[in-house]
Amino acid sequence: MIKYIIRRLLLLIPVLLGVTFIVFTMLYITPGDPAKMVLGDTATPEAIEQYREEQGLNDPFLVQYGNYMRKLIFHGDIGTSYATRRPVIQEISQCFPATVKLACSAMVVAICLGIPIGILSAVRQYSIFDMITMVFALIGISMPVFWLGLLLILLFAVQLKVLPSSGYSSFAHMILPAITLGAQSVAVFTRMTRSSMLEVINMDYIKTARAKGQSEKVVILKHALGNALIPIITSVGLQFGTLLGGSILTESIFSIPGIGRLMVDSIKMRDFPVVQGGVLIIAIAFCFVNLAVDLLYAFVDPRIKAQYK
Amino acid sequence: MNTKKFMAFLLTLVMAVTLLAGCGGGSGAEDSTGASGEGSGSGQDTLTIAQGSDATSLDPVAVNNVYSSNVMKQIYDNLVDLDKDGNVVPMLAESWEVSDDGLTFTFHLREGVKFHNGDEMKASDVAFSLKRAQESAAVSHIFGEIDPESFETPDDYTVSFKLTAANAGFLAGLAHTGAGITSEKVVTEEGENYTNNPVGTGPFKFVSWSKNATIELERFEDYYGTKPELTKMTFRIITEATNRAIELESGGVDMAFDISTNDISRVEENSDLQLIRKVDNQTTYLAFNCEKEPYNNPKVRQAIAYAIDTQSVVDAVWRGLGQAAVGPVAPSVKFFDDSLTVHEYNVEKAKELLKEAGVENLTMTISTNDRQERIDMATIIQSQLKEVGITVEIEKLEWGALLEKADRREQDTIMLGWTCQSSDPDLALYAPFHSQKNGAVGNNYANYSNATVDELLEKGRVTTDEAEREQIYKDLQATINEDTPWVYLNNGEVVVGAKANLTGFEPTAYGYHTLYNITFK
Repeated sequence: MIKYIIRRLLLLIPVLLGVTFIVFTMLYITPGDPAKMVLGDTATPEAIEQYREEQGLNDPFLVQYGNYMRKLIFHGDIGTSYATRRPVIQEISQCFPATVKLACSAMVVAICLGIPIGILSAVRQYSIFDMITMVFALIGISMPVFWLGLLLILLFAVQLKVLPSSGYSSFAHMILPAITLGAQSVAVFTRMTRSSMLEVINMDYIKTARAKGQSEKVVILKHALGNALIPIITSVGLQFGTLLGGSILTESIFSIPGIGRLMVDSIKMRDFPVVQGGVLIIAIAFCFVNLAVDLLYAFVDPRIKAQYK
Repeated sequence: MNTKKFMAFLLTLVMAVTLLAGCGGGSGAEDSTGASGEGSGSGQDTLTIAQGSDATSLDPVAVNNVYSSNVMKQIYDNLVDLDKDGNVVPMLAESWEVSDDGLTFTFHLREGVKFHNGDEMKASDVAFSLKRAQESAAVSHIFGEIDPESFETPDDYTVSFKLTAANAGFLAGLAHTGAGITSEKVVTEEGENYTNNPVGTGPFKFVSWSKNATIELERFEDYYGTKPELTKMTFRIITEATNRAIELESGGVDMAFDISTNDISRVEENSDLQLIRKVDNQTTYLAFNCEKEPYNNPKVRQAIAYAIDTQSVVDAVWRGLGQAAVGPVAPSVKFFDDSLTVHEYNVEKAKELLKEAGVENLTMTISTNDRQERIDMATIIQSQLKEVGITVEIEKLEWGALLEKADRREQDTIMLGWTCQSSDPDLALYAPFHSQKNGAVGNNYANYSNATVDELLEKGRVTTDEAEREQIYKDLQATINEDTPWVYLNNGEVVVGAKANLTGFEPTAYGYHTLYNITFK
């Protein structure tokens, strides 16, 4: 198992190298001059030229990339923001906690609602409950986050005045963003759990469990769910990884200072070091979530554990 | 079974809530259970402000944007300030002299002014701050003419320096936040970290900054001037315009900047709130590329100006926000000429001029950024120009890409805005109309070139006689109007929502505001 983890961590290196190269190239070919964006369109040509020279923006592509990688690899330095002149790591570390908090709250909502509803739908396949939940799951998947967020604000913050409409400092502040961001995941998990449960629910071992006189609860939660969990865990992991990349819409609606807003602002400002740093951190987070998911498989399914050598 | 019932209930609840929210409607103004802890007449001494974007830096010379300036205006005092009519008034300088040739400035400073760290402000700090402003890439367009070698500080309370070229608008420019006076000691010691620990002489001092969330300031007890009634000021960053209005309604903030057209009536109808408005110094325009065929022909430009019904465009898109622009400078700018005859909507005249110019079946591209109002204006102009046989294509570009296109000077026409950041017409006209400032190197995105205009712009800079200057700028406005490098579209408006009991706020026309004089009734 340890060997497996080390191998996976080593695999991170080529992944991150690839990510830095792709992002660097994409930003390099993006139209728009960072110097002009940062200094404003009133800056004099001399000032713009001076800034480009200072930041090494006049160097050829490979020299720029080489310098970036040299600093990254030898000094662990992901650069300084063009716009704020603060270290990128400082900019990101101020935003990442809010994103993690938002992603975790959304996942709690999604898991607590999505999986139980999915199980019930599968157990009572084609019942009224099943049909209603599947319709709402479809609505949940198709509903724009922006629209749902604004509706929730209108109801709970403006009409009922029971919850705050923006900010992220307290538990109450996180309720609406968590529901807004979690809604889509609820729908995804419900559908995934239902289909996964339906696959196993008619298997012979379920019949055997029932024949042995096991209670329905044990049959469903232990024998069926235990075997149906793998695709559900995969989908939870993927969803969580995506949420860690920031959710610009939810962050904007509820004024949460997360990494999604930081990235979009930085792209608009052509603040390349922040964009590169942000993508790098998100890629690392995503890889770790994937690794955690793969390790979880081992606990759920002993057959997989045997392969982790 | 119980689990099933519970889950069904939970699910129904969530879904019902979502649907109910949709049926909500209404303004909610009738509700009285606001979340605010401060009622009217409470002697409230804290101010929470919602603004749409975070400050980029709190170092005066590092940036030039209104979000940063709004915060810095409370932290830093300048040598001079502008009153509400745009006149230059003393601030850290008690008095000043300008030499006859307009090149040498001598300022006599107030004594006993303290920085937030307790040190006394000296002439050397002023010289240091202005030298930084001169070198700064972000504000050198305002302070670049200071000769950095010329600073003299004969004593601790006198500072003098020279300009490399006379500029009558320079003194007003010194009120810009870029010339906020910083402590030489702190800036030197803090280096790159200075923006996290800004120190000025203003009535409020910096406490904390949580990126994209809040900036907190508190009253500086040793302020040399009138001590504000407010003791704390918090800027909250709320990007969505609707959310700013909602936070204002629910009492989460005391004032909110940039209330959108959609929310204006909600704020107006709410008796607990007030709306404060002022037409600002921004002019949105459609600039012809004057060096490209056929837009190099003034007749074509005039024809298109006649074919656009600006008033209806502005009414439809801005719905009462701001006003149709009636000249190359905004009405609050000094020497604004309200007698200018702009091209009134006249389709026949437009057709006639196009015929005279020999232009038929013209296809014209309007390049603009992804700001919805600009796209909407371009769309209406597209249909209006169809009437005179011009086919308009709208090219919507992201801001950075649009600027790059303008740099290459390839566009037919471009729709942009220009804000005069002071009351002086030099800042309003020099950059967008001087031939040396064409799109590749400056803000003259019309690539307009007229020797008379260049000469007048240069003369306006160095002339100190007010009456003579007024004539120069009126002549300029008339000449530019006749040449029509721009179709003027609209002047923006500062729209601030605030609690009804908030007083002492005077919005400025250049986007950032003094907030420390605010009190609550």
